[in-house]
Amino acid sequence: MATRRAHRVLVASCICALVALALMTWQLFDPRVFPVIVAMSVGQVLGTASFVAYLYVVIVDLRAHQRAEKESRKIGVG
Amino acid sequence: MSLPTSPLAIIALGLALLSAIIQVAYLILRPPLVRVTKLWLLVGLGILPIGAAFAGNVQGFEATKERAFCGSCHLMSLHQQDSDNLASLSLASRHARNPFFGNENCYVCHADYGMFGTIVTKAGGMRHVWMNLTAYRGVSLDEAQTTIHLREPWKMNGNCMQCHSTLDELWLKVPDHRSSLSDLHAGRIGCASAGCHGLAHPFFGPPSQRAR
Repeated sequence: MATRRAHRVLVASCICALVALALMTWQLFDPRVFPVIVAMSVGQVLGTASFVAYLYVVIVDLRAHQRAEKESRKIGVG
Repeated sequence: MSLPTSPLAIIALGLALLSAIIQVAYLILRPPLVRVTKLWLLVGLGILPIGAAFAGNVQGFEATKERAFCGSCHLMSLHQQDSDNLASLSLASRHARNPFFGNENCYVCHADYGMFGTIVTKAGGMRHVWMNLTAYRGVSLDEAQTTIHLREPWKMNGNCMQCHSTLDELWLKVPDHRSSLSDLHAGRIGCASAGCHGLAHPFFGPPSQRAR
């Protein structure tokens, strides 16, 4: 994954996580029906999505490193 | 809106704050995607938010048991006011003054008990939320009183019997108790009915059924 794209995904992930945290903490200040339900649904979905996006970036980056290592080894052997 | 005081809420807030600091730092600094950055982001996007969500959810579940939570729907405002009223003689209010029920008196009386009681109760609560948002959103209290009713009234005796076992000798010495025992267990007679201990919420219901 190109570095610029990885950063873009991580920025989106951080923004998602900040919104999720805001929704999840809203219920602590205002424990009424709507905030609690929003925290436990939208908040959780956004939080999970941000973490999945982070994992995606890390896995893709790891694979790219492995591929690059393999290729450099091949060149070394050749 | 009030400042949270419970330890769980404070833990959730602390974890959320630390997590937010890491995320904002990443957004401002945009460091290169090296191992250290990935580890910091694992903490800021994974470990801390999961901890905050867990603590927040447990706190949220606890909050759903509180009378203030039930009373936050406009249709339940009379019920909340009655339970808050120290001078009220309704069954609900009298039980609310008992520390075992306290601020959770709605939940203690209306919860399903048994192995999956909490889950069944929460699922039923979601039904209430759905009804409140759809069918009862703009309905006035006066109008609602004629249509709101217990979905499974026969279950209510079982909840009374969580404390009042009906096995005590003194209880069985009361002739009305003894004679109605099988009907009570079968749900044909309600403990909280007009002929017995009175309605739990005597101010609510169709005008013909409300206690004077």
